Amino acid sequence: MDVRRSLARWNIGSQRVHSPIRRYGFSVLSVAIALGLALLSQAYDFRDGEAPLFNLAVALTSWYAGVGASILAVLISTACFSYFFTAPLYSLEISNQDLPYFFLLTAWAVVIAWFVSARRRIEDDLRRTGDDLRVEVEQRKHREGEIRKLNQELAKRAAELQASNKDLESFAYSVSHDLRAPLRHVAGYSELLQKQASSLLDEKSQRYIRTIVASAKRMGNLIDDLLAFSRIGRAETKMRPVKLEQLVKEVVAEIRQDTKGRDIVWKINALPVCYGDGAMLKLALLNLVSNAVKFTRMRSRAEVEIGCIENENDLEAFVKDNGAGFDMRYENKLFGVFQRLHPSEEFEGTGIGLATVQRIIHRHGGTVRAVGAVDQGATFYFSLPKARAAERTAKVHEPAGTHITR
Amino acid sequence: MNPLGRILLVEDDPRDVELTLTALAEYNLANEVTVARDGQQALDYLHCREEFSTRPNENPAVLLLDLKLPKIDGLEVLQQVKSDNRLKTIPVVVLTSSHEEVDMMRSYELGVNAYVVKPVDFHEFVNAVKELGVFWAVINEPPPGSVKKLP
Repeated sequence: MDVRRSLARWNIGSQRVHSPIRRYGFSVLSVAIALGLALLSQAYDFRDGEAPLFNLAVALTSWYAGVGASILAVLISTACFSYFFTAPLYSLEISNQDLPYFFLLTAWAVVIAWFVSARRRIEDDLRRTGDDLRVEVEQRKHREGEIRKLNQELAKRAAELQASNKDLESFAYSVSHDLRAPLRHVAGYSELLQKQASSLLDEKSQRYIRTIVASAKRMGNLIDDLLAFSRIGRAETKMRPVKLEQLVKEVVAEIRQDTKGRDIVWKINALPVCYGDGAMLKLALLNLVSNAVKFTRMRSRAEVEIGCIENENDLEAFVKDNGAGFDMRYENKLFGVFQRLHPSEEFEGTGIGLATVQRIIHRHGGTVRAVGAVDQGATFYFSLPKARAAERTAKVHEPAGTHITR
Repeated sequence: MNPLGRILLVEDDPRDVELTLTALAEYNLANEVTVARDGQQALDYLHCREEFSTRPNENPAVLLLDLKLPKIDGLEVLQQVKSDNRLKTIPVVVLTSSHEEVDMMRSYELGVNAYVVKPVDFHEFVNAVKELGVFWAVINEPPPGSVKKLP
């Protein structure tokens, strides 16, 4: 709107007069000036100037004040011409020999009026189109500026993110390097003390030392798990089709080595090919399956089922057990970092396994959820994009994607 | 007389040195260790210069190398050792706190012979160091030109 107004200001020369009083006033005024000039030129013996002057007045009126005012101008001009410049002078009477002359003058004035108003209309249309175009250009410029600003903001945010990612990385690095060393020393020297002074220490003191050692070890595990967890967040995902069933079989084979002597009924259903990072998904499955094995420890016969529900666009895999289960009220806490629902004397662990699973699945654009009841087992679901759907989108985006990675 | 060790331990933290030597002592290997406290000292030892200029000109059987070191860090020591014709045959074992993939990748790219993350648990630590010492200083045949096994 502002643009339009400022444009209008530039076009004052071609601005139309709008109020009717002004329009007809303009008509009368222009004819009066023409008359004045005509009388003046006559007084100076300048002949035959009156007709062009009146025509000029009609033309100007038509240009600035529109059709109605120009008709008035034609009428007044004709009257003035008749009154002041044709015999009999100072009378509106028109002699017969002047009649064609008057007719011509009027016709001429009408033609001029018509021509000028047509020209005016075209001019107006053109100006309006021009204005519209200019407004369009201005708006486009404005939008372009906004886009540029947004792009700059985005680039800034990306740089900030990269910086904070780098901070995080160096943080993890120094945790890895520097935090584990003193811990190792605490554990090491406690052990040495125990060895050195075992004959001097009573049972209570020895228990203290054992607790120090165990705590140091536990903290070491926490740090390792936290580092592994942060690594998942920073690692690049290498997405490709993954045979879920094969992955599950590998994971189960790995876990079976540690569960010899236990009666576990494994039920592995047919699983489809999904789309994702094989190594990460394996880690997620390893966490879920080893949880199932851990929390069924008190069952004389443990049951672990791994299966999948296929939906239209994604698939939802699940790991189901008949173990300790959990209270659904705490479902949202299950996937938090270092969140545990069971005392560590009962089930060991740092409480980072499900957080790791969630992070991995989120990085695949999927979701996790859990269903269970206390002492009635638990089922953990995670959704993943289907291989075909994902590949289709991957193919569409591939040129851009490869371009960026190069 | 400068010490002549078959194991060169490059480690800046005195506590880690003590714990490592304690572990090696269980196999009577502690006496065969020379300790360098930073990368510069390690390179001085290997090149027989500065304080080590009088030592017999033989390479250690193994180099146990920490990564985070004052002055010259472990990766740079590794790089210098592996790009020096006279030193590149020395087996180098990185013995570090770092679990970080970048360190591992870089070490292997530079030609490290083994990469061991120091366990927090002391028993595991002792076992790891003991096995390393026994394997590299006793079982493994070092390249010719290394310090000979004592009779």
